[in-house]
Order: sequence, then C-alpha cells, then structure tokens
Amino acid sequence: MTSALQQSYGGVDAENESIKRTKILLLGTRRSGKTSILQVLFKDLPPKQTFYLEPTMRVTRHTFDTIIPLEIWDSPGNVTADTLGSPLSHFSTVIFVIDIRDLYQQPVAKLVEFVVAAFQASQNIDFEVFVHKAEKLQEDDKYENFRQIHERVIDRLADEWPEFEQVPLNFYLTSVYDHTLQDAFSRVVHKVIDSLPYLEGLLNIFCSNTSCPKAFLFDIRSKLYVATDASPVDQVTHNLCCDYLQMLNSFGPLYKSNATSNPRTAVFSPTQATSPDESSSTPTISSSSSPPSSPPKPIVFPSAAASLTPSQPGTTLTYHLITPHLALLALLPTTVYEMRRGLVEWNVVWFREGVREIWEVEKERSVADSVIS
Amino acid sequence: MGASGSGKTSMRSMIFSNNPASLTSRLGATIDVEQNHVRFLDDLILNLWDCGGQDAFMDSYLSAQRATIFSHVGVLIYVFDVESREMTKDLEYYHDCLLGLSQFSKDASVFLLVHKMDLVRESERTAVLHRKTAELEKASGDITVRVHGTSIYDETLYKAWSSIVNTLIPNVRNLSKHLRIFAEACNATEVILFERTTFLVIATSSGHSDQTVDPLAPHALDTKRYERTSELIKAFKQSCSRLREEFHSLEMELADFTAVLDEMTKNTYILVVVHDPTIETAAIRMNIRIARRKFEELQGDSLVS
Repeated sequence: MTSALQQSYGGVDAENESIKRTKILLLGTRRSGKTSILQVLFKDLPPKQTFYLEPTMRVTRHTFDTIIPLEIWDSPGNVTADTLGSPLSHFSTVIFVIDIRDLYQQPVAKLVEFVVAAFQASQNIDFEVFVHKAEKLQEDDKYENFRQIHERVIDRLADEWPEFEQVPLNFYLTSVYDHTLQDAFSRVVHKVIDSLPYLEGLLNIFCSNTSCPKAFLFDIRSKLYVATDASPVDQVTHNLCCDYLQMLNSFGPLYKSNATSNPRTAVFSPTQATSPDESSSTPTISSSSSPPSSPPKPIVFPSAAASLTPSQPGTTLTYHLITPHLALLALLPTTVYEMRRGLVEWNVVWFREGVREIWEVEKERSVADSVIS
Repeated sequence: MGASGSGKTSMRSMIFSNNPASLTSRLGATIDVEQNHVRFLDDLILNLWDCGGQDAFMDSYLSAQRATIFSHVGVLIYVFDVESREMTKDLEYYHDCLLGLSQFSKDASVFLLVHKMDLVRESERTAVLHRKTAELEKASGDITVRVHGTSIYDETLYKAWSSIVNTLIPNVRNLSKHLRIFAEACNATEVILFERTTFLVIATSSGHSDQTVDPLAPHALDTKRYERTSELIKAFKQSCSRLREEFHSLEMELADFTAVLDEMTKNTYILVVVHDPTIETAAIRMNIRIARRKFEELQGDSLVS
C-alpha cells in the first residue's frame, strides 16, 4: 500500500513550503465565474452574493486541506501560459471555466490554446471543462448549448492538433445555485487523490456490511465528497446529502455551549456495542477479534441521523464525523438503523480507523515530499 | 395588505405552501382578494385574505367593499416595500386601512412588515429599520403596532410570522409552562414547539426569560435560533420532498449539544436541546413519547377555550 502511495505527482514544488500541495489551476475568460466557484465552495459565500464579487486582477492562490492538501490557483481572465508565474507542468489539474452562453470563437479559441499548451508541457495534466452558469438558461437550451460547446471545442482541437485524440477532456455542466458544482469539483478532486481506491474499498465494505445503498465521505465545509462507494452517484441523493450537511453545519452554532470544559469527549468503544448473537452477521467482527489497536485519545463523536418516511422501508440518513474535516454520510434502511444501531456504529469505528490511517500516511507523505524537493 | 408588488403573495406562498424563495418571481399579481383557509394546528383555521395591492383594488376595498374587508379581522398585516418610491401614497392607504379597521374590528392587532430587507446593504439594515419603524409608528398614531423587517431570503420572515401566529393562539402561556416542565424532566436547556406544516414557532420553554438576557448563562444560545431553526428545517424538508421522501425526525449529537426533533402531536413538532453529554437521544425520545398524550390533551383544551 505504501509503495503505491509514494508515487509522485510529477510536479515539483517551486516554493519552500512546509508541505507539498497538489495544485489545481482555474482558467477562463473574464466574468466566466472562476472566483465565484472558489468563494462558494471554500469560503461559504452565499450564491446570491457572487454577483458582487470584484474581478480578479492577479493570480491568487487558495489553500484547501482535505484528505490531501490542495492549492487552487485563481487567475484573471487575460492570463496566458507565460504570465501565469509558474509552468503549466506544475499543475496536476487545469479547470477551464466557460460561460454557457459563450458559444463564440474567443473563449473556445482560448480554451483550445490552453489545452495544447498544457499537453505540450506535460502528459499528466487532467484537463477539465466546467460549462458554467447553467442556471441562466432553460432546461432544453442548457443541454443544447452544452452539446454545442463540447462539439466546437472538439472540432477545433482536431483542426489545431491532430493527435488530440489522446487528450482526455472532461466536460461538466455546473452552476453555483445548485449542487452540480460540488459534484463536478468532487469528481475533479478524485483524480488527484492517489489513495482513492483504498477509501472506496473501505466505503464498499461499509455499505455491504450495513446493507446501505449509498455512502459518501464528505468534506464538511466545502461539501465536496472525497470518495463514495461503487454504486453510481444519483444526482438527487447527492443533493439531499449536500443539503443535509449544510443544515447540520448551520445548526451547530445556534445552540452553542459556554461551558469551557466538557467538549463532547464520549470515548466510543466498539466492544460495548456488540452482542454475541448478532456478531455473525458482520464479517468485520469475525475476521478480527480485537478492537482497533490503539483507541487514540478521547474521540470526539459528533453524529446525527434524520429519518425519512416515504413508504414502508424508510430511509435514515446518518452522519458520523470521521476526521476533523471529513464526515461519513450514509443512507441506511431505517429498520437496519433502529434494530442494529450498535453494529452500524461498530462498522463506523472500523471505517474511521481505516480512513485515519490513510489520512496519516497522506500527511506524512506531503511533508516528506516537500523535504525532498 | 400592502402596495402592489410589495411581496404579500410571495410571503404567503413561502410560509403556507412550502415554495422555495427562488420560485416567488414566477408569481403573478393578485387580482382582488384571494382567500385561503389554512389549517393551523389542526383545529385552528386561519382565514387568510391576500388582498391585491393595485390602486384600483385598494380604492374599492376602502369604499364599496369596506364592510366585508374590515369586519372580523383578527390581525392586519400591512406590508411595506423597503425601497418603495411612493411612500407617501403607501402611508395614505395605510392610514385609510387603519380607519376602516377601527370602524369594524376594534380589537385587531396590527403588524407592519418592512419587506424586501435583502435589498438593503447588510451594514445599513438596522439603521434603515429604525428609521422606518419611527416613521410608521408616527403614521399609525395611537394604535399599537408591531414592526418587523423581513426578507424571504433569510430567517426574519419566520420570526415575524411566528410572532403574528403567536397572538392568534390562545393559551400560549399554558403551553410554554408545560414545555418548561417537560424541559426539566429531560434535563434540557431548551424545548421548542413547532407547527407541523409551516414550522413556525408556537411556544418555547424559555419564553419568560427573553427580556432578561443573562450574560452569565451557561449556554450562548443564538438570539435568532428559533427563526433559523424554522428556516433550516423547512429548507431540508424541501430537499427531502424533491426526493419524494418525507422528513420524519432528526437527532443530532454535535460537538456542543444533543438535539432531538420529533413529532409531538399530530400537528406539532418538538425540538429538545440538551447540553449534558451523558444524556442519550433514546432517553429523550422516550420522554417525548410519554409526554405525547398530555400535549394532545393540552392542545385540545387550548383550542376549545
């Protein structure tokens, strides 16, 4: 596992930072919505307020720590590959933001120019296109414009650069007013997380053990999901999870406690939750009889559950904090949650142990990498 | 009531029909009077008259329909657009409405909503509201009015409507007394009772201590917490309904507190907030289950009287 994790990104850090960050570059024409995207995702700006944002005049960097440390570069509309201040090969991902109403030559030409520049600089860059401001158009026009932009870019690329076929170019339809932006950005981030298969493996195990149809590992503040299980992501479920997370986030500060002492330090020991007759139903327990090796420090254990009742089976939406930044959101059948709550929590604890280990390794690695460079 | 385009129907659709704020721009102008019967707390039926605000309608309310409009009014809600360009005209109509009210239903309470506060810059909001309040209080003479600044984009709307509804429910005091007893039984910091469909606040356990804010209180409770809770739950209910699911209950064990939101009676929801980390959510749920019958009875009483 560690050998696989030690693959390098190919980019070398120019500055002497204490940790090495994976870099993501945001490009796009003037007023295409680059800064809005950043502010809404990472600074909790309400989407309505993005209207008042000042245009970005110079390249700015934003750092963002999730399971891996990221550095996101925001650029002004008139930037070129030369004025960027850093060679394109240093970035693992380039996101080009294009206004959905911009069907014309100029933005498309600029996009193509950057695609060519990026792939001449390095073969390892992921190039993503966000067709942004989808909310400005009606449903039908939206898909029509999206298709047209896609087509034009591909055509033009074929003219400019015949070998473009090797270029994996991904298009997403996004808007700050719904959760399509979070979904698209999550998918972009997935590509730069080297430990993603392990996280997904953990989620798959969790899902099969708890007969859970869908589980996400969310970054709490940005509402990006770092990983999910193998079943396809359904837009509606994703929206619901985002809304749920947002609600919990805003609930927190409403009923704060002034008491300086006891912040919730309920140590959660998995042994108490199991009863012998149920243990046969989860393979996790039978495979390893000892509880997670070192119950680390007092574990803060914020969790929440919302039950929804459409018809008979019923769904419970659970939330468990895994690391200070990440939370597990799972859709569980209400019967499972109510009858087997202890077992669900036991599985959560194992899941958390796994994620924490990966998180620790990633942290060490980013520090180690920066020392090498 | 209020001038044309001041946002009366938008508000109504948000509170009583569960529409999101973004859809209010699609609402058309109200023609004449739209009457709505809203079942609030099951047995209490609110008869909501949404009056179209165009001048022609206003004139007819004040003359030909005067007796119909102003008889048996429990509450007059007059909406002012904060950015109104014709304030003098608005005030004139408002004044006429007050006259009509004093003629046909003397006991009605009057609520003035300074609406669309979201158009005012955040830093200037309190100042603007102060100025408006002074202006409106002067205009209404010796009638006691309550002024609220509201916006459909934040929690102020719920605050205003909660206080409006509060004046209509008999026995609120009795309810909050029982909520206090219940809070003590649960060792809860606060217990809040919500109406089921609108999620407006009906009563709280700490209703009495609102005036005396104790700086040494052990818990820093946000002053806007009731409205914010209404707003948050309502937004979440909407996203559930998009999935064709129905929100049922919620329990949270967050860093600072434990909270359980569950059905109380068939038309109310209760939120119990506990700061003691040793109390399990299951225990709170059981208390709620036990208290359910008592509250059904109470509610029955309060509505019959």
